[in-house]
Amino acid sequence: MRASKETVAKGIFLFCAMASAVIIASILLFMVALGLPLFKGGAFFSVWTGAWAPHQGYYGIWPMIAGTLWIATLAMALCLPLSLGASFVITSLGGPRLRRMLNALVRFMTGIPTVIYGFVGIFLLVPLIREGFGGAGMCVLAAGIILAVLISPTMVLFFSDSLQSVDPANVQAAKALGADRVQRLLYVMLPKAFGGLASGFILALGRALGDTLIALMLAGNAVRAPHGLLEPARTLTAHIALVKAADFDSLEFRSIFACGIALYLFTTAATVAVRWIERERMMVP
Amino acid sequence: MAKKFIQMLVSFCVLYFLASPCFGGDALDAFEGQKGTVKIAGGTAHIPVMKEAAKRIMTCYKDIIITVAGGGSGVGIKQVGEGLVDIGNSGRKPKPEEIERYNLKMFRWAVDGVGVVVNPANPVKSLTKYQLQEIFAGKIDNWTALGGADHAITVYTRDESSGTREVFWNKALDKSALSAKALFVPSNGAMKTAVANDPYAIGYISVGYMDASVIPVNLDGVTPTLETVKNGQYKVARGLYSNTKGEPTGLTRVFIEYLFTPEGQQIAADKGFIPVK
Amino acid sequence: MIHNLAEKVVLFFSWVTTLVLGLSVSIFLGYLLWKGFPSLGPKLIFGQADPLMAVLGRVRVFDGIFPAIAGTICLVGLSAGLALPVGVCSGIYLAEYAGPGMKKLLGILFDILAGIPSIVIGLFGFSLAVFLHRHFSSRVGPCLLISAVSLAVLVLPYIVRSTQRSLEELPAGIRKTALALGASKLQNIAYVLIPNALSGISSGVILAIGRCAEDTAVILLTGVVATAGIPSSLLSQYEALPFYIYYISNQYSSRAELSQGYGACLILLVICAVLFMLAYGMTKHLSYRTLYRA
Repeated sequence: MRASKETVAKGIFLFCAMASAVIIASILLFMVALGLPLFKGGAFFSVWTGAWAPHQGYYGIWPMIAGTLWIATLAMALCLPLSLGASFVITSLGGPRLRRMLNALVRFMTGIPTVIYGFVGIFLLVPLIREGFGGAGMCVLAAGIILAVLISPTMVLFFSDSLQSVDPANVQAAKALGADRVQRLLYVMLPKAFGGLASGFILALGRALGDTLIALMLAGNAVRAPHGLLEPARTLTAHIALVKAADFDSLEFRSIFACGIALYLFTTAATVAVRWIERERMMVP
Repeated sequence: MAKKFIQMLVSFCVLYFLASPCFGGDALDAFEGQKGTVKIAGGTAHIPVMKEAAKRIMTCYKDIIITVAGGGSGVGIKQVGEGLVDIGNSGRKPKPEEIERYNLKMFRWAVDGVGVVVNPANPVKSLTKYQLQEIFAGKIDNWTALGGADHAITVYTRDESSGTREVFWNKALDKSALSAKALFVPSNGAMKTAVANDPYAIGYISVGYMDASVIPVNLDGVTPTLETVKNGQYKVARGLYSNTKGEPTGLTRVFIEYLFTPEGQQIAADKGFIPVK
Repeated sequence: MIHNLAEKVVLFFSWVTTLVLGLSVSIFLGYLLWKGFPSLGPKLIFGQADPLMAVLGRVRVFDGIFPAIAGTICLVGLSAGLALPVGVCSGIYLAEYAGPGMKKLLGILFDILAGIPSIVIGLFGFSLAVFLHRHFSSRVGPCLLISAVSLAVLVLPYIVRSTQRSLEELPAGIRKTALALGASKLQNIAYVLIPNALSGISSGVILAIGRCAEDTAVILLTGVVATAGIPSSLLSQYEALPFYIYYISNQYSSRAELSQGYGACLILLVICAVLFMLAYGMTKHLSYRTLYRA
């Protein structure tokens, strides 16, 4: 009696796990299957490197790849110092009450929906950029800044976790030898937590590459690759959201599956890189 | 205490049963006894009229549900052709290959113009066709060249499946090139908002959408208004179509017929379009 | 000397960046409150309709965000209902039954799923809808059901990971006691392990719910529209709060509508913030006593 209940239960659990795995694999399969016609006929390279002008027959998604890279790079460049500094304060440089407060604040920030960041960005930041720097206001800079603010809380939490999970014995030893807070942080905690910090950085990068709404609302969605911070851009994600109109069987529509494949590959590479770093860390005694 | 409670109970019952005042005219009686869902998608210029009609119908008839989505003329035609929606709106006449492929039946219930707009703070209020084409091609890129402020011109445009864009490109730009730096907006409403918020913007919207927040640009001496489109002076005009796959039946047919009744045509006129009747 | 300078720079830099972060959040929230607070009230949610009648479904709401709120609630409920059983069972399998090779493989797969951008999952949902529409039944299209399934796929990793992690972190003492007393593996899981891991599992679930409530990219592609009233069936299109906010930001037609947009932002913010705070609070404080009243 008990044995059959056991096997049934195990079977159910196994089924669920397998179902989940199948779903993940089928996501990639669907996209490749549906995007395939775009690649046939020798068009493979032009899809990744060409320009986008569907009426003239150009289905290249290079401008979108460029847009994604510009915005994500800017966001990470702004976000890294911000998060690093804030995590230093939260883990060691601040007093206990300040730490608790900042922790709560950062936790709260992770809960703010993306669309709200975009909403405030449109009405607060875009006019400022337009008057202060010229151009349309909706550009790589606007999207990059808001994206950086969006990602920072998650990065701060991740960095803090890594810094705090350094073996206390090491930190105590440094303290016993006379190191003050900053020295303990810089020379003991930081080097030891480096792997964790790298993982956090890569995960945040994945998030920056995959965000849709910020770029959709703030970057202008022009079809040309940006040549400067004040130029409008379109990301792979925004492109998918915008091209709903075309014929399901047309090449224009298939291009969004190419975008999907590109995104899938980028973020999978990031995930695998993180796992590899974690594994390397585990190996070091 | 008891008296107050009874008063509340009575007013609750009254409200409950008289919940929705239905001031429908004769036109709405056609919906009597109908039930079901009508899914509408497509041209964004049609949305105000669709929403108003839906509101009137749904207020009177509890069993009818009408959903309205945007997406542009291309989406409307595609989705009605694929059977994903019941009515697909388009701001341009469907092409012959689309009509044949999807067996479309078209119903033109209003005429509309497509006009160029700029922000109210912009002193430049009239352009020649040649200047317009140069601006949209990106060759003239600063407002000083036209007598305005010293700031780059921000060009806004719609995506390639938009009926509004197609008409504008065919008739106002004479099929000339469009700058690759133009910013994209997904609908007429979004274009209006974008131009209204950006003092250095230029864009194009349906004449029915124009209001005090944007200034219509005088093109070769003609300002795009309801009158100039009506009397044919302003040439950049198009019909507003509602398309169905095959002959419409049931609730969908009643809805389309409603658009052609005096009440339906009045809604179109109220929203700034020119009724066909 | 140089060491001293570097340390001073780091100190200065850390405080400055923290200040910048804190300032930007304050400006952000302050602006939102300033613009949105005036529009809060029954008119924002119910428009011209009477609140009681609208909630009872007797009257349709046309100018308020009630349909969007109802749509979001239905969506979240449905997707959580789909993701919960599958996620918890998968987590149990990974923590209790899987061998090391399987654990690693499934672990990688779930990590990949967690990293996939939400719009790609929306694309998957849309392709699914088109596929079903063409080969299965023409009544199926992008709708509430497809959105719920897509959102469930989106949040699955959260639930699986938190279930797996909280089960694995249980101390050996708790794990082995019931087994030593003769309980079967299943009984151990059901009566000892799950109740003890409840706080971790719940926090994962609540995080997932919060994610469903705020997500816009997935629903953009799978069935949300600007005007639909409260959801009438699983195969119908629907409205949702995040989409409403996006739509307003894009094309508001009057100051009043823009004000409504800010108000909607505040409401969505409160919903999501509450859910996230709840999740973090639960991780620490929920105990099995709430389940067993011992």
